[in-house]
Amino acid sequence: MARLISLLARAYVMAVFAFIFIPLLIIVVISFSADSYLSFPPSDWSLKWYGEVLSNEGFMQGLKNSAIIAAIVALLSLGFGLPAAYALERLDFPGRTLIRNLILAPLILPAMMLGLGILMVFTPAGLVATYPGLVLAHLVMTLPFSVRILQTTLSNLGADVEEAAMTLGARPLQTFLRITLPRLMPGVVASSAIAAILSFDEIVLSLFIVGPRLTTLPVAIYRYVDERTDPMVAVLAVLLIAISLAIVLVVERSVGFAKAFGR
Amino acid sequence: MTDAQPSAPPPHISIRALTFDYGGKRPAVDALSFDIAKGEFIGLLGPSGCGKSTTLRLFAGLMAPTSGQISIGGQDIVSRPPWERNLGLVFQSYALFPHMTVTQNVAFGLKLRKIGKEETAARVAEALRAVRLDGFGHRRPSELSGGQQQRVAIARAIVIEPEILLLDEPLSNLDARLRDEMRFEIRDIQNRTGITTLFVTHDQQEALTMCDRIAVMNAGRLEQIGTPTEVFDRAATPFVANFIGRANTLRSTLDRNGPSLLCDGQPLPAPPASELPASGSDVSVMVRPHAIRLRPAGSGGVAATVARRVFVGNMIEVELTLTGGQTVAVELQPNDPAVPLAIPGAAVDLDWSRDDMRIFAA
Ligand SMILES: Nc1ncnc2c1ncn2[C@@H]1O[C@H](COP(=O)(O)OP(=O)(O)OP(=O)(O)O)[C@@H](O)[C@H]1O
Ligand SMILES: [Mg+2]
Repeated sequence: MARLISLLARAYVMAVFAFIFIPLLIIVVISFSADSYLSFPPSDWSLKWYGEVLSNEGFMQGLKNSAIIAAIVALLSLGFGLPAAYALERLDFPGRTLIRNLILAPLILPAMMLGLGILMVFTPAGLVATYPGLVLAHLVMTLPFSVRILQTTLSNLGADVEEAAMTLGARPLQTFLRITLPRLMPGVVASSAIAAILSFDEIVLSLFIVGPRLTTLPVAIYRYVDERTDPMVAVLAVLLIAISLAIVLVVERSVGFAKAFGR
Repeated sequence: MTDAQPSAPPPHISIRALTFDYGGKRPAVDALSFDIAKGEFIGLLGPSGCGKSTTLRLFAGLMAPTSGQISIGGQDIVSRPPWERNLGLVFQSYALFPHMTVTQNVAFGLKLRKIGKEETAARVAEALRAVRLDGFGHRRPSELSGGQQQRVAIARAIVIEPEILLLDEPLSNLDARLRDEMRFEIRDIQNRTGITTLFVTHDQQEALTMCDRIAVMNAGRLEQIGTPTEVFDRAATPFVANFIGRANTLRSTLDRNGPSLLCDGQPLPAPPASELPASGSDVSVMVRPHAIRLRPAGSGGVAATVARRVFVGNMIEVELTLTGGQTVAVELQPNDPAVPLAIPGAAVDLDWSRDDMRIFAA
């Protein structure tokens, strides 16, 4: 009986894995197809669709835009998120609990609603289809995550070590730079990476405020898929996965490193 | 409090009605008032949760008191931030800097004080030697045992030669031998440097052996402050009598004419009139187990029956029952001539000197 349950459990886990990874596998396989339409298995193999993507002006421009935006969003998300997390976690001020909860609101609101709101504010402000506009819109999504991650890291660190530094004569800024920040590195790396990935993959908000002058890679892909389906789509999917995976790996390595170094 | 000398120098530290409320049922620190002289080694003694750590945090400026004052050298420091107080605080949790080596931990305060490289190195080495950790400088806190971390915390606090040293149970994690050594070492450092020290502990033995004076706290309030002899022999409250050393509590009736005491109908040694509580006739009489003498029945004293007798190494503990049912513990030295009397079931008489007795309103 126990063996049967164990066998069933194992089969279940396999099924879940298959459910997640087989579509991925199929996409990767199709990306190497030589056919000019989506078919599985492909009748012949080639790298021609990779060549198509890399020489496609629109996609490459979108990739560049998305990368620039993701980098800036990651930086700003940290720059705004860290002080906010610090204040919410370490300082006592009226309305702290309220702000703590409100800051998570963008995670709960439907993205459609947010996008509409952003469009209504950004249009008169001339921010539509501009870098600042897209960065700001993405920050609405990423900041709650950054603040939350940094807040959790800070709260796990506890305040007593910082207090010890202060009794030894360290002013708040010195304490932050020499004690808090070094110990916060895993959270800093993790929150920046998540902000970058969220921004890089973001589509709903972007759809509202991109324009012919400035578009992102996910939007470009979305528009392309809307019109045609050929193995180029598979290649683009593989590229997106590869980039996200690369960021995750970098984080894993550096956070692991920082942890071994700092704790 | 009671021992203010007429020509006492102005206190180094003076606490007035110090109160801190976390928002619980009652304040964690409740109207604490006492003075500390320069160079004094004060023990803050009390049961877990009585507000010792909170008091130290108020001293260090990590929290602002709900009300009350702390003045150092005549100046109110309540509004001064922690980094301007020049205090050394050893946290109950050690609070070492995990991303720094032991040497960097200890040198941290000196660096902030812009002490030169060579002097820093020398002082760090000396501090580490004092806590028996020379040779550990390159390690990180995570590579040390709890007791070693605790000693790094002590070194980090003393190396800056603070004006006041605050120690929050700094020896709780050491084995008996090392604890004795560190007690001596801390007292020695304190004697040499003359740093006014507040030493938190819930170990009465530690407080009695190390401190110039002991402040006994209970539930946020100061029960008594005095020399070890004072708090041990002349406990000001039943709590102090019970918390420091063991004490028998005998519910008795006080007749103010005489005066005389009756416990379950039996007369107790006559109390000195100056020691009586202000009012009431129901009182608790406290006597330490080692102050009670055992005598053969009928020789005069409080009649009792031996219930149990236990040999605990350096002495014999005898438990007795009074005629009314109250129990009394007596400690006898193994060579005490009364030991043969302590046979379970035997009737004996108990006696003690009136000076060994404390009387409190019940
Ligand atoms: N952050 C806090 N919030 C609310 N109540 C607290 C907090 N810290 C301590 N208390 C309460 O205040 C009281 C005093 O705590 P404190 O830490 O000063 O005790 P302590 O005497 O140091 O005890 P111990 O010997 O266990 O360290 C306790 O009843 C405790 O529950
Ligand atoms: Mg404590």
